[in-house]
Order: sequence, then C-alpha cells, then structure tokens
Amino acid sequence: MRNNPPVWAEAILRLFLKPDVFLSVSGDLLEQYRDSILPDRGLFRADVWYLTQVLGFAFRKTSPCAALFAGAYVARFAWDTLLPTTDFHVRSQITTYTSIGILLAAGFWTAWRSGSYLAGPAAGFATVATASVLSAGGNAVLLAMWHDAATMSAISASGGLDEAFLLPAILIVPGIVLGAVGGFVGAGAKRLSRTP
Amino acid sequence: MAEILGTFEQAVLLAIIRLGDDAYGRAILQEAGMRLRRAVSPGAVQATLERLEKKGLVMSQLGSGTPIRSGRPRRFYRIGPSGISALNEARTTVEHLWSGLRRPLKGHA
Repeated sequence: MRNNPPVWAEAILRLFLKPDVFLSVSGDLLEQYRDSILPDRGLFRADVWYLTQVLGFAFRKTSPCAALFAGAYVARFAWDTLLPTTDFHVRSQITTYTSIGILLAAGFWTAWRSGSYLAGPAAGFATVATASVLSAGGNAVLLAMWHDAATMSAISASGGLDEAFLLPAILIVPGIVLGAVGGFVGAGAKRLSRTP
Repeated sequence: MAEILGTFEQAVLLAIIRLGDDAYGRAILQEAGMRLRRAVSPGAVQATLERLEKKGLVMSQLGSGTPIRSGRPRRFYRIGPSGISALNEARTTVEHLWSGLRRPLKGHA
C-alpha cells in the first residue's frame, strides 16, 4: 500500500507556497499523514484529509483577493438595489475592470510567490470559487435586510436574482484566463529578478 | 505598547516556548491543539507563524529532514524579545480585566 499523499495534491500545494515554505510545510503534512492520519483513517480518508489541508492553504493564500472580488459584487448589488438606474454602462465598466484587476493581481502574486507559471490559473480559479461563495452570502444578507416591493423591482430591472447570485461563479473560466495572464507576468518577473 | 495578541497567536507563541529547540510546524500544531483542547489545522498554524514572523515576534530557520518526511526539512521557530513582550502584555491585560472578580463567575446564565 502506498504511504504517500496523491502526487497531484502535493503539486497543487506547491503552486500556492514559496519554494522553501513548501518544503517545510509539505514535510509537516507528510509527517502527519504517515504518522497519524493514514494509520488511523485508512488510505482514502487520509487522502481526503490531505486534499482538505491543501485546499485550506489555497483558500488562505487567495482569500484577500477573493474578499475584494466578492466585495466588488456585493457592493454592485447594493448599488443597483438601493440606487436604481436605467443605464448600467458605467457601473458595469467599474465592476468589470475592478474584477480584471483583482484577478490579474491574484495570478501575479501567487505566481510571484511560488515562481510557477501554473500558479496563475490556479489562483484565478481559487479566487473566483471562494468569491462566489462569499458574494452569495453577502447578497443574501442584503436581501434579508431589504426585500420590499420597490427593492425587488429594482433587482429585477438590474438583471434579477439569478445574476446577483450566480454571476461570480459564471466567471470561473475568465478567472482562470486572467489568473493565467497575471501568473505569466508574475512567474516571468520572478525568474528575471533571480537572473544575475 | 506591545503587539496585542489573539488567543490563537498566544497559543502558538506559548507552544514555541514550551517546545524549546523542538519547536517546528507539526510539534507546534500538536502542542497548541492540546492546550486549546480542539483540533487545529496545519494551515491555520502556518498562517499564524508567518504573520508572527512578519511582525518580528518569532524567527525561523530550516533544519534537517527525517525519513518520515522523505528528507524534507523542518522549519524551527524561536521567540524573539518582541514576542516575549507581547505575551507579557497579553497576560497583564487579562489579569487586569479579571482583577477583583472570582472565578468561575456566578450569576445569570
């Protein structure tokens, strides 16, 4: 029976950490995996435990960008709901460019930290996935506070509840692409900075 | 005024002091979890250690690996003077807050 966690899970962990931090952290996780988790839980549940730890690291490393991303969409929902308009052009541009900037930054910083080109798309995915959950929660709170007829009418006019709750999740693919662009620049800059 | 510490930060710093020369990631995780009497995630401990190191409260250096870690190095932590001051301040603050009150508190549930 193997006594190592899945190679692909370790590869994901590597994308979100500095190389020296990865060595010590993956060593700690490997020690715990072999020493207590695997004997206590068996292979499948030990692998699930390991993957959960990896996702925890990915979440923590992208949570500032995810919080900003979610904040932008919750703010936009509040803006459209509390100050209704018929022309959403300017508001859409602000939300779009803010999202692009956040996703590029997420890809850049994650790739700069790990030095890996693959870190960018991984960061884009993690940022949007986390932000989708956060913004859905934020919008639900706003909806619980303001749900009178006039507000619901304003929500319908600005794209409806579907858009308010699902839009960030729909942006997974653009998030991966923008993260990849930021990551390409970040990992490239990191390699250039190391060149003597 | 010294750094104001949260409960988890205090648990991690006190674990480093208790472990002495053996204060590395997994040992700190076990010690802090035992003292807090709850499961502690490696990610939470690592994030706290990074934050404490950035604040200058702890220092770290890589050590040697072991077979169970497939030779991957341990990162050993030690507490700095700022960390000691922060812990003392946290303890003093709690003692001031509790001074004059009997434990456990009795009264309205």
